[in-house]
Amino acid sequence: MSTLIVVLLLLTALAGAGVVIARDPRRQVLTMAANGLVLTCLFMALQAPDVAFSELAVGTAAVPLLFLVVLASIRMDRRLKPGDESDPDGAQ
Amino acid sequence: MSPRLRLFLFAAACLCLVPAVISVARHMPMFGDHPMPYGDAINALAPVQRHVSNMISAVNFDYRGFDTLGEEFMLLCAVTGTVVLLRGTRGEQLSARPGIVPGQPILLRSPAAVLICRIFAPAIVLFGIYVVLHAMTTPGGGFQGGVIIASGFVLLFVGEGYEVWRRMVRSPVLAACEGLGATTYALCGFASMLAGHPFLQNFLPFGTLRDVFSGGLMQIQNAGIAFAVAGGFGTVLLEFLEETRAIKPDDAGPGDGT
Repeated sequence: MSTLIVVLLLLTALAGAGVVIARDPRRQVLTMAANGLVLTCLFMALQAPDVAFSELAVGTAAVPLLFLVVLASIRMDRRLKPGDESDPDGAQ
Repeated sequence: MSPRLRLFLFAAACLCLVPAVISVARHMPMFGDHPMPYGDAINALAPVQRHVSNMISAVNFDYRGFDTLGEEFMLLCAVTGTVVLLRGTRGEQLSARPGIVPGQPILLRSPAAVLICRIFAPAIVLFGIYVVLHAMTTPGGGFQGGVIIASGFVLLFVGEGYEVWRRMVRSPVLAACEGLGATTYALCGFASMLAGHPFLQNFLPFGTLRDVFSGGLMQIQNAGIAFAVAGGFGTVLLEFLEETRAIKPDDAGPGDGT
């Protein structure tokens, strides 16, 4: 087991603990993306580039993005205002 | 439960579990040790039998191609379920305005962010196509390339904003990609049956080893997977991003979705 892998395993433990310790949802999403990035590096070091690709695309880009969108959607005011009843497209 | 009791329970659980964990860890195989014969067998056989240098593609599309067919349709079902759930409470009109968070001013994007997204969105899509095309020679393949292509579309949303993005990325196109890709994979199986072989038998000429177009039928399966995954992930991302638009009069309320 080389030094690189030991360092990456320690980083993985740190990043995973970071996801658990973070309490703010947006911070949690970002720490999760960071964890995905560390895992990508670990998979590369373990000579599994295929898995690293999947982890990078899904764990670092797609899933955090979906969570961020959900958080944004929750914070939005999604009630219909009385003024919008007519035709919102006509105003453009 | 008081924090002190919780800590006590945690310590008690540690006392019980730690010896077991240490004992298991001492009896595990060494790090990097693999006693299974299959990996070595595939490494030895695939370049000779299938003229392919990326063994993972050979396994996914050929040696256990039927499994991949099942995974493909699992993805299709998951995407369909997401779309049905999310579309339940809103209409399908294209001309909606982006939503606003109350109490937060709308800031204009900095030109640097727009420029970076305009440079990187096409570059990422191009890299995704590269990964798809080189599935038989280098690591990667239809799934990875498809996800990379779909994440390139998202940069359009980040860089150009909701309205431009919505005009450029169309839901029916993504849905057609997803469905046609999955169908292509299934039809590959029936094509080999028509040619008189078992289902998904690789009956096309294999080409030369380390050539981009080696692998025979795997090329078509790989293209199908790439279209299906790009379309599927694109659809999921699009449906989620649609949740951030302003609500419109023709949308049903949260309670009366049909």
